[in-house]
Amino acid sequence: MRSADQIYGGGDLTSNLHLYLQGVKTALASRMAYRGDFFMSMIIMLLEEMGAPLITILVYGSGASFPGWTMYEVLLIQGIFLLARGIAFPCFFGIVWNTIERVQDGTFDLLLIKPKPVLFMAVVTGFDSEDLGKFLGGIALFTFSLSQVPAPGIFEGLQFIALFLISLAVLFGFALILAGLGIVWIGNFRVYEIFFSFINFGMYPTVIFSKALQTLITLIIPIAILGFIPAATLLGRPAAGTLSSVISSIAFLFLSIWFWQWMLKKYTSAGG
Amino acid sequence: MLIEVENLAKTYKSYQRGNTFGEAVKSLFVRKPLYIPALKEISFSIDQGELLGFLGPNGAGKSTTLKILTGVLHPSSGSVRIMGYTPWRDRRKYVANIGAVFGQKSQLLWDIPPVDAFYLNKAIYAIPEREFKKTMDQMVELLGVGELIRKPTRQLSLGERMKCEFIMAMLHQPKIVFLDEPTIGLDVIAKDKIREFILEMNKNGVTFILTTHDLGDIEHLAKRVIVVNHGEIVFNRVYNQGRFKRKIKFFKYLLH
Repeated sequence: MRSADQIYGGGDLTSNLHLYLQGVKTALASRMAYRGDFFMSMIIMLLEEMGAPLITILVYGSGASFPGWTMYEVLLIQGIFLLARGIAFPCFFGIVWNTIERVQDGTFDLLLIKPKPVLFMAVVTGFDSEDLGKFLGGIALFTFSLSQVPAPGIFEGLQFIALFLISLAVLFGFALILAGLGIVWIGNFRVYEIFFSFINFGMYPTVIFSKALQTLITLIIPIAILGFIPAATLLGRPAAGTLSSVISSIAFLFLSIWFWQWMLKKYTSAGG
Repeated sequence: MLIEVENLAKTYKSYQRGNTFGEAVKSLFVRKPLYIPALKEISFSIDQGELLGFLGPNGAGKSTTLKILTGVLHPSSGSVRIMGYTPWRDRRKYVANIGAVFGQKSQLLWDIPPVDAFYLNKAIYAIPEREFKKTMDQMVELLGVGELIRKPTRQLSLGERMKCEFIMAMLHQPKIVFLDEPTIGLDVIAKDKIREFILEMNKNGVTFILTTHDLGDIEHLAKRVIVVNHGEIVFNRVYNQGRFKRKIKFFKYLLH
């Protein structure tokens, strides 16, 4: 019989990665039990996400434009925005629905009796294959639009990668906040609708918004980093307030981690 | 002692809601808090290898006790020491040593075979492949589930699913297993098989804490019974199984 320390000691990076991949395999196997639904969901998700780029093409096709931005530059912003969500939503954003469902049906307790951090267990059991459509769409739109703009230099490329990773961190922060709300604010879905509407500000050049809204989405709730800021950097025309937005994003991530811990503490104090 | 519980208390905070429309509207703005004592400073201890029955009516405090002992819930006051751990403080280290079967909360995954869920547990507990296979084969043999573990969970009967829940809970060879109404809704044959399994595991030194409404579980399994009612322990003794029928009458008396 192995000691607790041996099991607990299985918390190194390799074993956690193995556990995460096992969670992905299990989620995919669950979803693929219904083959038709598996493919249809991905295709529908992909088509749904193509709405904004199609509107952009229609806007530019009719002679209008976003001031100072070509059609392919705007499509690049939208490609990056979609790619960020295409990685975040399947890989870790599923914690939101996973937490809500588990708190509602009482199985959230099952995550607490596993020798791993609750958040990690929520991620492992929350992989959402349906959102892989976003990822495929993001890859396609990103590579297509990137091929239509002047090739970025290595320095811009490296800066872009760093900002893109920060955009994933911001999405992780949002996931923590929404999942945390799901622990104590059961059944209130309006807040999720507001979130999905609000993050859409990230897929347009901020110049089209009022100064107040620009400040809000760049400095206070860093939505602009989900698409616009990394795209602007990749295009070699970094947006004003990029550094402030990075700082704000990191602060946002720490705040969201604290919020999740606080909500989890409320759950373990109140018993669901 | 394997488990020592002293003066354990838990009070839930709730809010009073009116029953008329006017009171419901008022409660949108002003709510009066209600404090509900679920456990009132209970104390007990459990030895290694015991098979303890935890009895009580709905709302008596059984599930609250179980949640605190499994590290899910923090108590309002009191202390719990299990294998040297305080469950809610040392949760991650502590829960590596325990297993749990909840009759009404499945750890299996509905659309895929139980064996896939077992592999997820293998990864969670970092169980070496050889040890995992050996334990799984033993459990499958004991519970007689054979090829069933390769069928999608949704195609299994309640009894077959419950047997797989037991395998899921035992794969990492826990020292203590918490059972919350494990035989609820099962037919007589499935109940017997599961009871045999519990007794066999108990012979191997696994400690079981069983909460149930089914006095048959107590009759067949428990060597000692703790009865809780209104958050207090009203009975805590080893009992003589030969005089079980009289005991049932006694338990019923205690719970009224």
